[in-house]
Amino acid sequence: MMTYIVFILSVIFVVSFVGFSSKPSPIYGGLVLIVSGGVGCGIIMNFGGSFLGLMVFLIYLGGMLVVFGYTTAMATEQYPEVWVSNTTVMGVFLLGLLMEVMLVLYVLKGEEVGVVFKFSGVGDWAIYDTGDSGVFSEEIMGVAALYSYGAWVVIVTGWSLLVGVLVILEVTRGD
Amino acid sequence: MNPLIFTTILMTVLLGTMIVMMSSHWLMIWIGFEMNLLAIIPILMKKYNPRTMEASTKYFLTQATASMLLMMAIIINLMHSGQWTITKVFNPTASIIMTSALAMKLGLTPFHFWVPEVTQGISLTSGLILLTWQKLAPMSILYQISPSINLNILLTMAVLSILVGGWGGLNQTQLRKIMAYSSIAHMGWMTAVLVYSPTLTMLNMLIYIMMTLTMFMLFIQSSSTTTLSLSHTWNKTPLTTTLILITLLSMGGLPPLSGFMPKWMIIQELTKNSSIILPTLMAIMALLNLYFYMRLTYSTSLTMFPSTNNMKMKWQFETKQITLLPPLIVMSSLLLPLTPMLSILD
Repeated sequence: MMTYIVFILSVIFVVSFVGFSSKPSPIYGGLVLIVSGGVGCGIIMNFGGSFLGLMVFLIYLGGMLVVFGYTTAMATEQYPEVWVSNTTVMGVFLLGLLMEVMLVLYVLKGEEVGVVFKFSGVGDWAIYDTGDSGVFSEEIMGVAALYSYGAWVVIVTGWSLLVGVLVILEVTRGD
Repeated sequence: MNPLIFTTILMTVLLGTMIVMMSSHWLMIWIGFEMNLLAIIPILMKKYNPRTMEASTKYFLTQATASMLLMMAIIINLMHSGQWTITKVFNPTASIIMTSALAMKLGLTPFHFWVPEVTQGISLTSGLILLTWQKLAPMSILYQISPSINLNILLTMAVLSILVGGWGGLNQTQLRKIMAYSSIAHMGWMTAVLVYSPTLTMLNMLIYIMMTLTMFMLFIQSSSTTTLSLSHTWNKTPLTTTLILITLLSMGGLPPLSGFMPKWMIIQELTKNSSIILPTLMAIMALLNLYFYMRLTYSTSLTMFPSTNNMKMKWQFETKQITLLPPLIVMSSLLLPLTPMLSILD
């Protein structure tokens, strides 16, 4: 089972995405988001990205999802919709599950589970080299490269987040 | 809106388009599109009534879907070529998906349905930004991937856009919807020649932006959003009736005016590439566009419809001063003699 752990985690990932895409009440959406966040963290860790996985837990689940949970708890209704309470929601959920099962069977039939991206070269990645890449994890080097070669990306994403907050405040202000 | 916030958001719209036009990494281009979309939503929603909110929601939904398709095309391109730089997109699947995504952003048929509805629901100035500035970013990406675009799909979309833009505008009296259908038709002309000569696409874009800016500013100056309201400008500022006449005929592509230049060049380039039926069809369908422009000029500057005396006065008594208007009018009508200068673009 351990050789196929990434595949199993990815199946759970997709199933929890189907779970909140079938639109139950946001509280239950947040619940499966927690599951999908944790499972996604597991997938990243299996590829060696321990720092990124822990950042998902800390920032995404521990910061953003907590705030989301509080706001939906303030705005929730008396009888929130579960997956089995509404025929539409249950139908969409079952349809998503069915498609995932068909995909899993197709992948398993082909006798190879390593169906991930096939990169054909290093290409244009800026190689951030500390000179001795055998000892350090390259993923931390990537995070460090974000702040040196990728400074423009940091500026752009930081600005978009700031403008996102301004836009949301402006849109919900009403008159 | 608070002026500081408004300036920040407007600058972010500009920054988003600049990032799209100047990046060499596909992810940055996608980020630029998203920043542009995010920041233009409050500009579309300047007045808080249900129509503007509905229009901004429609705009957001269609553009977000187009961004998702663009991201999928980028990922497929990454899977097959292993790199993120902007070159021609070698994989045909990724190229077709990317073309469809950019066509959704531009408002080409069959993804044109949002353009009249969104343009009608927002104010004239927001409609101006929507129909001119927002077309720059997707067109620059189409320019950059133009060697690899599937010709059949692009030409089909272009010809259908010219048809829909002409036919759809025939029954309209609201000026914003007329400008929206004119935008659809002009986008069709621009993308028709994209594979043959991208320089002419840029020329058409430039002249289209000038003419649309002029038209919108003339509408803003007389605060008119319907044909009826526009037909009362003879009483307020009689000079603008002549200017509306000239600019509308230029948009229709009539010869001594500068709107003829892109159509002429496009037809010449298409016939040089041995396609005769296509430019004939395009030229014939541009007549539909010309018909509803001429109907506007007929009611505005050529006739005064019989009406009672109290309907003749417009209620607004202070004049707006639009500084950029005279140079724009000159440029959108008198540029045709400069056509030989196009040789410097080669």
